[in-house]
Amino acid sequence: MSLFFHYLSMPYLLEGIELTLEVTALGLGGGLILGLILAGMQLSRFWLLAAIARAYTVIFRGTPLILQMVFAYDALPHIGIKLPAVLAAGLALACNEAPFIAEMLRAGVLGVDRGQVTAGQALGMTPRILMWRVIAPQAIRTMIPAFGNEAVSALKNSSLASVVAVQELTLRSTQLASSTFDFFSIFFASGLLYLVLTFAISAIQLFVEWLLDLDRAKGRQRKLADYLPWRRVDLGTKLELAAIAVDDPEPAPAELTATPPLALTREERTRRAATIARNNIAVEARDLTKRYGAQKVLDGLDLTVRVGEVVALLGPSGSGKSTLLRCINHLENWDAGTVRVGGRRLGFGENGKPLSPRDLANERASVGVGMVFQQFNLFAHLSARENIAGPLRWVHGMTRIDAERRATELLDRVGLSHRADALPRHLSGGQQQRVAIARALAPNPSVLLLDEPTSALDPELVSEVLEVIRRLAIDDGLTMIISTHQIRFADEVADRVAFLSGGAIIEEGPAHEVLTNPRNPLTARFLSVMEADKIPEAVR
Amino acid sequence: MERRVLPQIRRNVRRGIARAALPWRKVALGAAIALGVLAAAPLSAQAAAPAACAALQEKYPDWKGKTLVNAINPHTPGYETIDPKDPSKYIGFDIDLGEAIGECLGFKLTYKPVTFAALLTTLAAGQADIVISDIYATKERAKAADFITYSKVFDGVLVAKGNPKGINGINMSMCGAAAAENTGYVEVPLIQALMPECKKAGKPEPTVQLYDNNANCIQAILAGRADTYVNDVNTVDSAVKAYPDKLEKAIAVTIPYSVGIAVPKDKPKFRDAVLAALIEVQKAGTHMELLKKHGLDVNNFKEPDILTAD
Repeated sequence: MSLFFHYLSMPYLLEGIELTLEVTALGLGGGLILGLILAGMQLSRFWLLAAIARAYTVIFRGTPLILQMVFAYDALPHIGIKLPAVLAAGLALACNEAPFIAEMLRAGVLGVDRGQVTAGQALGMTPRILMWRVIAPQAIRTMIPAFGNEAVSALKNSSLASVVAVQELTLRSTQLASSTFDFFSIFFASGLLYLVLTFAISAIQLFVEWLLDLDRAKGRQRKLADYLPWRRVDLGTKLELAAIAVDDPEPAPAELTATPPLALTREERTRRAATIARNNIAVEARDLTKRYGAQKVLDGLDLTVRVGEVVALLGPSGSGKSTLLRCINHLENWDAGTVRVGGRRLGFGENGKPLSPRDLANERASVGVGMVFQQFNLFAHLSARENIAGPLRWVHGMTRIDAERRATELLDRVGLSHRADALPRHLSGGQQQRVAIARALAPNPSVLLLDEPTSALDPELVSEVLEVIRRLAIDDGLTMIISTHQIRFADEVADRVAFLSGGAIIEEGPAHEVLTNPRNPLTARFLSVMEADKIPEAVR
Repeated sequence: MERRVLPQIRRNVRRGIARAALPWRKVALGAAIALGVLAAAPLSAQAAAPAACAALQEKYPDWKGKTLVNAINPHTPGYETIDPKDPSKYIGFDIDLGEAIGECLGFKLTYKPVTFAALLTTLAAGQADIVISDIYATKERAKAADFITYSKVFDGVLVAKGNPKGINGINMSMCGAAAAENTGYVEVPLIQALMPECKKAGKPEPTVQLYDNNANCIQAILAGRADTYVNDVNTVDSAVKAYPDKLEKAIAVTIPYSVGIAVPKDKPKFRDAVLAALIEVQKAGTHMELLKKHGLDVNNFKEPDILTAD
């Protein structure tokens, strides 16, 4: 036992730790850089880069580290690259860690909700901003445990540097054992030293998890101690947090009830229709055709929407409503036909060639097509206010102060100023959708596309969202295209309804006329089914 | 061959500074210090015939004042291990001999510890300049490096106390036994050569367990995993000395090889310089003194020769 303590405190072994850490740091640091490059290549749109990265991964993940160490140390000198032992070992470890780290990064990136990526694109974020502001912050949080794992594994793998004469802990231990014959005391001592090192890594990992915890940042009572392995606190749904979310009293929704239903006298409708008919064309789709394999989702669809007009798209699921909306702001490609927004062919250069993702994003931002999604697609790591203010700063170059002001103003308008600092997961579905609408309105879009904005909501939450949309139509005169199943809402808010079936508009016309007196039998049947299924409180 | 009594003469022979292989960024500093020491005291009292060495330094000036890297497998007590009292240093016969040669030619040595099997690859890769690590010079190995031989080889057969399997050499007594060996040791093919013979005699074949250092081979016998370990007799003796209740030397056997200093094949001038310096070191009686100092058998002494592949 005294021998054990003798070796445990022996400076010779302790100095070995320094080299162990050097090799580990080189391996992890280099591995991270290489891994970032590899992950970027694998996720790239260019197949050649992806193929090269794949080949690298197959080779370096598929061969033993010990061979890579020997290769870096003994083979590279033959082609004139003679690295010192620590660098050679660090290089081999980095090359070996890289594919593992790349896969972690890729999993982290792919694990971020696709809807948020789509929402970011719709807001005009370039791929770079999207990666930096939306994907990376969320991916990094999910990757920390895996990173901790990888760091511990790299630390232990650094012991293989002993085969290339790096005087790290393991090599020192074996040499000491050979010269003293105190085999077991020495290896127990060095084992304990390794344990101390890996424990330190675990501690760092937990600390970083705590540091990046979104709930901690919100000043909620998340203690570092909650991360200790024996604590059984569900970090996602801690009781106190849930309590806070529930207890938050909704202020009397008085401000949302103030608007009278759209005045729908026949004359007013006619007058409004006449005004709109004189307006410029906001959105124009001509002969739009798109197919997924053999299935036609859009079949020569034509649609014209004028400035200030509210158009409701009706039709059964799969009739092409969502696809049409996604084509209008070019979140999706199509096979034939043209789409013009404000007279511009969104997503095509002057020569008619498709734009790069970055140029397309910039064009979306400048043309101004806002979009609201069925699943809300709020950025999960940002507060309600930041969901609105962030894109204003990143995409539209607003100052922090201006963006905050605008966000506050919009949250006020959708009746959520009291929830400005809440994370999306602490908001109800209806609240989330109202924040999403505010986010889409923030850059003053010329057209707002709403893709079944109430379909994912519990019935009692539908009305608060519809009320917000109704007010946009009446108070702001905003051009909107809404796909919806809310017939009565369409009747109240829309100037015109278009009924889609099989990827084409089979009937369209003034909302009240089509809804009360459909001419196409398909429309009639759809409307009667919807009428029969209608949930009474869906619309006030 | 019967067991010989090994002289245990301890003399305080001053020896040069043995530096452990340093982290790469410290090497420059180490070299600077070594150069300083060299300038201050170019020759010590140990290196006899300073005139002869001075002549050699004039004839072979390329390595004077340099610091060369010696690749060693520091798991062989008596020849090369770290110093248990000061683990930053290496000690042993080979270490002292190398430094005596270095002193004669005017270079210093730093050490690079590698596995036995990696000694010659490290040299061939240019990661080391010289290998003085109790390595047997064979024609096979001479394909990878040139050798200057300096010692005869006597192997000992290490077995568990009482020699339960009755092993008495690399012969039919090893049939069915498990032999622990270092990867790359010359004993490995000798034991493997027994396999067909044992089979022919209707006996079970011997098995070879390969480890990557001396200590692990000894542990294999202590743990009952292996029955024997054949290696240099002095190594075997030091193992017996460390575990007198558990191990014993069954017998010493002669192996038809010499121990050699390995140098790169493409540096014949360096080989000749080392050879000439070794001759001077032997003439001065240093070689013999070092054998005695480290408790090695003086019968190991051998006049140097060159062994190359062709």
